[in-house]
Amino acid sequence: MTAVYGVTQFDLDENDVKSYGAWFCDVTHGTPPWKPLYVIHSWLWPGYRSIQRAYEKLSVPTSKGWDIRLKDGYPYPSVMLTTDEEAKERAVAFRDKIRPYIEDTAGLWNAAKIDLLETYEGLKKKYGLDTYESIKQLSNIDLLELVDDYRPVNTKQWDVHMDFFVPVFYLFGLFENMCRDLLGIDHTNALFSKAMGGFDSMTMNFNREIWKLGARALELGLESTFSGVDDGEALLQELQSSEVGKQWLHEYTEFLKVFGWRCDRMLDWSTPTWLEKPSLGLPAIKMAVATKGTSSINAKRELAEKERIEAEKGLLAQVSVDQRDWFEALMKAAQVAGYWSEDHNYYCDLYAAALGRWITREIGRRFAEASVIDDPEDIYFLIFEDIYRALIPMGRVKLQERVAARKAEWEGYLALVPQMLVGDPAVMGLMAKKDPVMIAAFALPNVREELKADLYGGGSAPGMVEGVARVIMTENELGTLQPGEILVAPGTSSQWTPAFEIIKGIVTDGGGALSHAVIVAREYGIPAVTGCQQATRKIKTGDKLRVDGDLGIVFINR
Amino acid sequence: MERLIYRFDELGQADSEKAGKKCANLGELTRAGFRVPPGFAVALDAYARFMTETGVRARIDEWLASFAADPNSAADISKYEEASVVIRRMVEETQMPTDVEAAIREHYDALCQTTGVPAVPVATRSAGPASHPGQYESYLLISGAADVVSYVRKVWASTFNTRSLIARARAGLPVSYDPIGVAVLQMVDAKAAGVMFTTNPSDGDTTKIFIEANWGLGESVVAGEVTPDSFLVDKASSEIVKRSICQKKTWFTLDPATGRPSFQEVPEDKKDASTLTDAEVQEIARGGVRIEEHFGGAQDIEWAVDANSNLPESIMFLQTRPAKHVTEKKNPTDRIIDFMLRGL
Repeated sequence: MTAVYGVTQFDLDENDVKSYGAWFCDVTHGTPPWKPLYVIHSWLWPGYRSIQRAYEKLSVPTSKGWDIRLKDGYPYPSVMLTTDEEAKERAVAFRDKIRPYIEDTAGLWNAAKIDLLETYEGLKKKYGLDTYESIKQLSNIDLLELVDDYRPVNTKQWDVHMDFFVPVFYLFGLFENMCRDLLGIDHTNALFSKAMGGFDSMTMNFNREIWKLGARALELGLESTFSGVDDGEALLQELQSSEVGKQWLHEYTEFLKVFGWRCDRMLDWSTPTWLEKPSLGLPAIKMAVATKGTSSINAKRELAEKERIEAEKGLLAQVSVDQRDWFEALMKAAQVAGYWSEDHNYYCDLYAAALGRWITREIGRRFAEASVIDDPEDIYFLIFEDIYRALIPMGRVKLQERVAARKAEWEGYLALVPQMLVGDPAVMGLMAKKDPVMIAAFALPNVREELKADLYGGGSAPGMVEGVARVIMTENELGTLQPGEILVAPGTSSQWTPAFEIIKGIVTDGGGALSHAVIVAREYGIPAVTGCQQATRKIKTGDKLRVDGDLGIVFINR
Repeated sequence: MERLIYRFDELGQADSEKAGKKCANLGELTRAGFRVPPGFAVALDAYARFMTETGVRARIDEWLASFAADPNSAADISKYEEASVVIRRMVEETQMPTDVEAAIREHYDALCQTTGVPAVPVATRSAGPASHPGQYESYLLISGAADVVSYVRKVWASTFNTRSLIARARAGLPVSYDPIGVAVLQMVDAKAAGVMFTTNPSDGDTTKIFIEANWGLGESVVAGEVTPDSFLVDKASSEIVKRSICQKKTWFTLDPATGRPSFQEVPEDKKDASTLTDAEVQEIARGGVRIEEHFGGAQDIEWAVDANSNLPESIMFLQTRPAKHVTEKKNPTDRIIDFMLRGL
């Protein structure tokens, strides 16, 4: 098997298939295929090294964590299961290591996220980077050192991410299993779902701020400006041409200082940050202006909190009295999964990737100026080793050929349909059973032929709705979404969450019980069916859908 | 001459060596005024007389002389199973000494008189002198003197079940002899039945009574066959502080087709209904408090609700023994970790 993008570390060979048994395609995160710089230097490694480190630190008994390969431009994880003897040995240390997560993940997370913000600020401060533009002032040598200081910061973010991801998802999965065993229900059950909802997170805060900005636009009399101009860049120009527009933009800029550290595609360096291209945030604001600034989020949040308290009681009442103490403790631990899942997007994924974009795009700008590459965006077809080769020499070394070769390769990957599984489905099934995190993180469609549905999901939020589909593949198409439609997408990132204010339901290719789609849909009380794998291929915009989140199925009528 | 049979009201706690612990406790409960089904205890002496005078013990010893097996070897369990079949048949085919049989018949007839029920259905339950619950057999819904005699003998024969043979062989005790009493008591026509702990078994809280209940006979709860309804009652206030009403799928009750009790599906209308009213829960709990006071220690009690009478007479106590394994308060975190590690 040939190495993807010429990098041999992650190629999937026959020995891997024999030795691990099964590798499955991570369509949730990997669609569309990433360009080389990000996937190799952030997603695959350190991302997966952090997963492995987290499993070791926690001494997870049944699994040593996940491993990763790159095939046809897509990521293929697998699981390193332990033997029974290893599991028993690891269980000893596990008892102590897991304890703080059962008792106080929220407290630990609060400390960790503050520390991450301080780390990011520290990095900016070290190089005197008090504004977004000031990176342009750095010398090439300082920029090179910034890259080498950023890489461990990115690793640290992944470490923190996985330190929490593993125990949080583990406990959620355990709670769901306990509910299956004791109560015969899983996360698709309305009572279960409600018991997990009604929490705030940075995602919800982001939504609130978007809606506040929409309300401010209305207050300042900018409704016609927003509704009159479709294109984000043109709208920006228009706003800059009036006093009230500038006033609004000033407030928007303040918002971006906190929430602008995000790339258009959450986990990717090859799309611009909102700070870099402020017009990226305007479609969401337009959505808010169009709904006349009446966000339902606070009311929904209050309702969700009330319903959660009732649902907690409802679940507890069904459990035998002598089991209630620990069931309740486990339920509380499982609840963290929902809001941590949303919260960590801001502190880990979005912020760190935005820093990466900021730094690498500046290198791209300089390379293009010096004709090292043709276009600044071509930087994303390089790898760090290429950058080290050419940065200080600036102009003496040419990288267009390397760009062209990898770009052609990438374009090939864009066109193909990835193989879902390489290896034995039975081994895949075993991994799903024995790795305590996997089942919550990646859900395979739960196919029940007797239901005769067009799509089966692996995760869902309860409720049923009928409506018109809008298929959207990337963030910048969100502007085409109409109120009351059913969003169909490969996955969602937390960028997409303002859309939840106006849609009736959501269907995705990837994602399980703890995906954004499920968590945020639950907060807004709308149905979701996720992990359908083929949703964006089978459904066309305009199709009439029946989305049944109670059963996790979708019917398509053309 | 030693007595062969005692009425329950003639026995007290101190009489386990005479009639077995279960009978002694039933006697103690009866004397203390708790509602216990009427009945009598077949004394250990009756077993002794039967085993020795009929020569059946000698015949067993003769047979055992050519029996060789290692009680500590899993491979030899099947040998003990065969031995058990042979020995039990010997016991069940041996006629009781006439006076022993007569005494049983006489007391049974008296029971029919007292209860006003001809051929009153009874349970014949094993009662060992030292408390070893569940090691021997009990038989339910036995009617008529001939069957009662027959089933008392079957209970005696159960001292030769496989695990008891192995247990005695391992401990170096006489394999061919293990005197026990037999409790013969009227079957309760149980609307509902179950168990009660006079402390909360999950955290050792001594201020609470914990009750588990299912429809029909208590066997379904004692055997752990079903998830029963459960209730936690505060001893001081009688308040039901927690309750869990589960879906009860099976119960242990008389199968009209066979005339024997067995596990059957609970009728639809009863599956999700509470087995007990609050008043019944509280009456059972009050009984538990008084039984615990009387015996001076945490108790593990079997109770039943008689379908044919009203509160408070409907609440009957069928067994009591000191509660074992009172769990020290285990941290919920530890229990969660236990679950995460189960199966390893």
